[in-house]
Amino acid sequence: MRRYFFEVLAVALIGGSLFFFKETLDYLARRDYVASVLVMVIGVAVISVGKEMARLALVQRD
Amino acid sequence: MHRPRSRCTVEPVAELTTDRRWKTFADVVAFALGTNVWISIVILPAVFVGALHGGPRIAAAALPFIVLLLGLARRSEAVLLGLFPAAVLVPVALQPQMASSYVYGPIRFALVALGVIAYLFGVSYFTTWHEPPAPRSIRGLSSAQLGPAERWQRRERVYWMLTAMSLVIPTVLIAWVNFDSGVEDFLGEMYPGRVALMTTALTAGAIVLWLVIFHYAFLGVLRPHRTGDRDLVAVLGHARSDAKTGKPRPRFYASVAVALAAMATLILLRHLKG
Repeated sequence: MRRYFFEVLAVALIGGSLFFFKETLDYLARRDYVASVLVMVIGVAVISVGKEMARLALVQRD
Repeated sequence: MHRPRSRCTVEPVAELTTDRRWKTFADVVAFALGTNVWISIVILPAVFVGALHGGPRIAAAALPFIVLLLGLARRSEAVLLGLFPAAVLVPVALQPQMASSYVYGPIRFALVALGVIAYLFGVSYFTTWHEPPAPRSIRGLSSAQLGPAERWQRRERVYWMLTAMSLVIPTVLIAWVNFDSGVEDFLGEMYPGRVALMTTALTAGAIVLWLVIFHYAFLGVLRPHRTGDRDLVAVLGHARSDAKTGKPRPRFYASVAVALAAMATLILLRHLKG
C-alpha cells in the first residue's frame, strides 16, 4: 500500500512541477525576471522531492 | 607431421592484420565524414558570406581540420568526438553570419544535420569496433535457442529509444531556433540589426542545453549499466545501502526548504510591490 502511495506522490510532484515551469514562462513573458527565477527554483525543488519519492517507492517494491 | 607451434604463431599475426585493417578503415571513415562536416559547416558558409579574408579568419577556418587530423593521428575519441565539434564552432562564433538562416535553408540544414550525425555515429562506432577472431569451435547452448530474455529486449528497446531521442531533441531544438518565424520576429524586434548574432547565440544555448540534458538524463540512465567501472560500482553499492534505510536523503529536506524559501520570497516580493 505504501509503495502505491509513494508512486502516486512521485507522479503528482513531478507532473505538478510542470505548473511551476509554465508559471516561469508566464513571468518571463511579463518580464518579471526575479519572479521567474524564483518559480523555476521551486519547480526544480519539487522535481527533486518527486525523485526522492520515486526512489522510496522503488525501495518499497524491493 | 604434427607441428602445433606453427598454429600458435600464425593466429596472432592474422589477428593483428585484421585489427590494423579495421583501424585503417576507421581512420578513413572518420577522415571522410569529418572533412564533410568541416566543409559543410565552415568552408561553404564562409565562402557564401565572404568570411575567408585575412589571416586570422583563414586560421580559424582551418582550425577544425587541424584538430581533425590531430585526432586521427592520435586516434583519440576525446579529440574526434569532443574537441573537433567544439573547434567547428570557433569560426562560426567569430562570424555569426555563417550560421544564419539565410545560409541554412531547411533542406541544407537537414543535409548538414545528417552529415554531423553520420560523423558522430561513424567515429564512435568504428573507432571502438574490434572484429573478434574466428572461433576454433562452436557449441550450441540450450538457453540460446530461447532467444534473449524479456529484460534484455526491454533494455535494448530503451537503448534504441535513447538513441533516437539523442538525434531528435538537438535537431528539433536547433531547427526551432533557426527556422521558427516567431523566434526570428522576436529577435528582430528585441535586437534590431543583430538577428544573426543572437540566432547564433541561441543556437549555442540550445547545444549547451542539450549537452546538460544528455549528461544528466541520458547518461544518468545508462550509468548504472556500466558494471565494469570499479568506482561506479562502489558508488552504486553505497547508494543501494543508503536506499535500504527507506528514509528520504538529506537532499529531500533541502529541496523542501528551498521550495518553501523561494515561495516565501515570492510572497514577500508581491507584498512589497503591492
